[in-house]
Amino acid sequence: MQVSLSWLQTHLDLSHYTTSQLSDLLTFAGIEVEGIEQKGVNTDLIVVGQIKDSIQHPDAEKLSVCQVDVGQGSDRQIVCGAKNFKVGDKVPVALPGAELPGGFQIKEGKLRGIASLGMMCSGRELGLTDEHSGLLILDTTAPIGKPFRELVEPDVLLDLEITPNRSDLLSHLGLARELAALTGLPLKGESHLGETDLKTRPATPAEIRLGAPEACPLYIARTIRGVKVAPSPEWLQNRLHSIGLRPINNIVDITNYILMEMGQPLHAFDLAKLTGGIVVRHATEAETLVTLDGQNCALLPDDLVIADQTKPLAIAGIMGGAESGVTDTTTDILLEVAYFQPSGIRRTSRRLSIHSDSSYRFERGVDPQQALGAADAATRLILAIAGGKAEDHAVVAGAAPTLVHSVELDETRASKLLGIPSFTADEGHAILEKLGLIKQSATPTTSLWQIPSYRLDLQRPVDLIEELARVIGLDRVPANFCAAFAATDTADRAYDHLMALRSALANRGFHEAQTLRLISTAQLSDTLGAIPAKGLDSAAVPVKNPLSEDHTHLRPSIVPGLIATAALNIRQGAAQLRFFEAGRVFLALPKNNTREEERLAILLSGPIAPSSWHAREPQPASLYDLLGVIENLVGPAVTIEPKPIENTPGFLLTSELRNGNRNLGWIAQLHPSRARDIDARHPVYIAELLPSALRQLQSGPAKFEDLPRFPAISRDIALECPQDLTHAQVLAALEKAKQPLLQKIDLFDQFRDPTGQKLPTDRKSLAYTLTYRAPDRTLETAEVDTAHQTLLTTLEKALPVTLRK
Amino acid sequence: MLSDLTSLHTEALTALDAASDETALEALRIDYLGKKGKLTALSSGMKDVPPDIKKDVGAKLNEVRTAITDGITSRQLAFQAAKDAASVSGLDITLPGRPGQGTGSLHPLTQIRHLAISTLRRMGFALAEGPEIETEWHCFDALNTPADHPARNESDTFYLNDGRLLRTHTSSVQIRTMETVKQLPVRIIAPGAAYRRDEIDATHLSVFNQLEGLYVDKDVSLADLKGTLEYFFREIFGPKTAVRFRPHFFPFTEPSFEIDVKLEAKGKEDRWIEIAGCGMVDPAVFEAVGQTRKDTLFDPTEITGFAFGLGLDRLAMILHGITDIRHLIENDLRFLRQF
Repeated sequence: MQVSLSWLQTHLDLSHYTTSQLSDLLTFAGIEVEGIEQKGVNTDLIVVGQIKDSIQHPDAEKLSVCQVDVGQGSDRQIVCGAKNFKVGDKVPVALPGAELPGGFQIKEGKLRGIASLGMMCSGRELGLTDEHSGLLILDTTAPIGKPFRELVEPDVLLDLEITPNRSDLLSHLGLARELAALTGLPLKGESHLGETDLKTRPATPAEIRLGAPEACPLYIARTIRGVKVAPSPEWLQNRLHSIGLRPINNIVDITNYILMEMGQPLHAFDLAKLTGGIVVRHATEAETLVTLDGQNCALLPDDLVIADQTKPLAIAGIMGGAESGVTDTTTDILLEVAYFQPSGIRRTSRRLSIHSDSSYRFERGVDPQQALGAADAATRLILAIAGGKAEDHAVVAGAAPTLVHSVELDETRASKLLGIPSFTADEGHAILEKLGLIKQSATPTTSLWQIPSYRLDLQRPVDLIEELARVIGLDRVPANFCAAFAATDTADRAYDHLMALRSALANRGFHEAQTLRLISTAQLSDTLGAIPAKGLDSAAVPVKNPLSEDHTHLRPSIVPGLIATAALNIRQGAAQLRFFEAGRVFLALPKNNTREEERLAILLSGPIAPSSWHAREPQPASLYDLLGVIENLVGPAVTIEPKPIENTPGFLLTSELRNGNRNLGWIAQLHPSRARDIDARHPVYIAELLPSALRQLQSGPAKFEDLPRFPAISRDIALECPQDLTHAQVLAALEKAKQPLLQKIDLFDQFRDPTGQKLPTDRKSLAYTLTYRAPDRTLETAEVDTAHQTLLTTLEKALPVTLRK
Repeated sequence: MLSDLTSLHTEALTALDAASDETALEALRIDYLGKKGKLTALSSGMKDVPPDIKKDVGAKLNEVRTAITDGITSRQLAFQAAKDAASVSGLDITLPGRPGQGTGSLHPLTQIRHLAISTLRRMGFALAEGPEIETEWHCFDALNTPADHPARNESDTFYLNDGRLLRTHTSSVQIRTMETVKQLPVRIIAPGAAYRRDEIDATHLSVFNQLEGLYVDKDVSLADLKGTLEYFFREIFGPKTAVRFRPHFFPFTEPSFEIDVKLEAKGKEDRWIEIAGCGMVDPAVFEAVGQTRKDTLFDPTEITGFAFGLGLDRLAMILHGITDIRHLIENDLRFLRQF
């Protein structure tokens, strides 16, 4: 909210506070100062001058050379770039030595060779308006030589963040009240605008009918006849200008002024445009209204309107209608002051996207007890400024609801919660009294407090404790260092495990990425894993109200994000692509269920090492590089058996990474067509792991196994076999033979000959070292020979292999 | 015999000096000490030496043998030393090392999160977590957010078709935790993602990262909150960092505060930077938890607590001087390599 300091000063004298002290005072009372703007000037060196003569600058087409009378006897020569003046105009003149808002120093100087002894100023240069197209032309009556600051009072504009609970601070009077409580300064006499001796009478149903009393329990109307609509006097225009409002006409300006002064929205109708009395009712289906700002609004039955007998006049509490508004020809007006229920205003305002100063306050809550006072204050101003005659009585329909109740303060509890040893009940009571609360009764440990009608936020005992904390501040609260033991949770173990995996990957040259968890429908096809029968969409959780088509689904896999990451870095010219990301994915399950789980995705493509003088073009990574990384992550104790899966159109070689019956994740090569899409120069390999499955493989502390005491004997074999026979099949056959002396099987070569010279092209050769060892003795060569021979015979029987000699 | 030995000695030493490499040295060894070597031949003449000088000749024989053997050994060592030296000659130690697979990195956000988590764990907090797809109850109702609060609006919050939503803050983990714990105290931190329907720009992401903290027990006070959070931020920003608490408003804490830390910026005045929100848990939150639990573990007249939340993305930006939040999700290697 924009607050004018000089406006505030009409309610209390803040002259002993510097702007920064005031800013601190507000900030530590929970009213954040988001901006401070100096308006106008604070120096006597900016004065009123009159332009006596103006000629074209001889060397600059856009400049004029002026002679200006600033009341110093002789005229001053000033070179000027503006065009909007004529000889005889009065303008603000900054004399040498003056400092403009923003810190610009005025000096004597030459412009294109012509001496210039000052500067004539625009509104913006003086921090007054945004007008920068020409000089600020002053009224002809402005006395020459008079300091400009005596003409236009300097001001400070504060931009305050009022928290949603403090609707009572959304006005100058409300803020003044708060500052008076915080500083102990007295409010000036005329500031008690809420009090009034205005006469009232109940409205007849023909005058005002409250058709929706829960949404509008109070409606006050005051009729004023014979007003003269005209521009507002200067003081009123200046007040509105000072907080960035545009003056319109005296009647509208007065309603805006009271709004900003008291926080009470009001509306003035042109009585001549009304047919019969006022009806406050919900809109009917398909009803429409053109608002003051020209919008044609389609209304719904949930919206509250102010209507006459034939038509809606205004959207209640939000904005008036164009048709019934005050214009230059208006002579009789009906002034509305009402209380509207906040949630209804909020709904309609949001649905129609109309956010006015009025709706802003009604949404947060307006003190219904001030309505009559505001009606009175507005009427007095109208009569004083626009003339006319008000009806003796304000017509009142309904009654102001009671929104505050007595609240108890439990001093023991307050003291405990605050943690201030020196806090006393007396101190607490003094604070509450300062804030306008009235003590109704007290026991030794509790007290009961009457809440001022404007403090809608003080409803519960804890609200009073908050007030104490706010006023006392945290400086007096001691800093207590407490700690309790915290038992390790499964979340701790999961975090530590994932962090270890992250560090392991970073140490192996991978960069951790972090991509958005919301992805596009198109990106779903980058999901790694089998496609469900119902299509990719069915596996992902859609967002009902996405911001854009780039973020329509929660990611069912991290892989789409990593592919996007690879694409971006390829565009940047990166050759070596090594990325991983750990984080949550979201899976759609039957019956609207969802599951969230942590995943760890790895992407590998391009040279296995950075280019260097050791190897300018290191070989590109293969699927086995990625498999090796994964084997390394899970450790030597865990065997990983890739098991190919079907129906994975975005990828080649897609396989589950299995350990027994457990799935640890997936590995694949990105389909070459997709890799070409992102301009990848090398095959792109991708894996997505399930950290929770990996964690389940950890089985407590490793058990020590005695070191072998007897030597091993090894034998190399080479098996010639068809191309489609797998290493896993060989291993299975060897293990199935259950040779007790066989301790280790190491594959050391795979050989193929595409030329067919050494080996037919449909055959390959797998070479293994078989290691034999007995735990309790040194093996005899003959013993090993027998075991080895038996094993080979079994192998040849079990598999289509021949032993290569 | 003696004179033969003497002249052999002289001859051998000259030959040793002349041996130019290991091959020559080996040839020399065979020539003198081998089975058919010159010294071997002489020593076989020992049997013909008269007994009275046998001792002297024997001694001389040994002396010559030792001299030749030692000479060969020392020449061998010299050759080895020269070879060892040659093996590294011309090696330019200023050439860059072998890069291996290259240097990887942890995302700056992971590093910040880990710093925060490690610090808070030392302070006795355990980790907790909750779903990111949340119910309105856990995200708003139980956190004392009015039914018509603007945050619930579809323009501010992402919803799913089944009415659930993407949590707008990690505060929902407070509720999840309190609904399920068996006993007090509750002393948890919950790092995690949160979602708001903000257009992505230099200072906003629609998915961002927070860290939530909660401590509930008998007699937890503002003094505990102040001590804990001052300590935490001084661990993060340095022991002399000024920390201040500004009164503020959050639906789920009362009283509530925003926390600023005073940070240096090169060539500029120190600035107060808003870094976190905190407060004493609102009794209405405990009542909501009690409704679900159907017990009195969180009876608001018996217990109190404090909660805090901070934005990890913002913390990373402040600590590293990152000017555009989008760097955190774009994963440009030129960015990632800096951390």
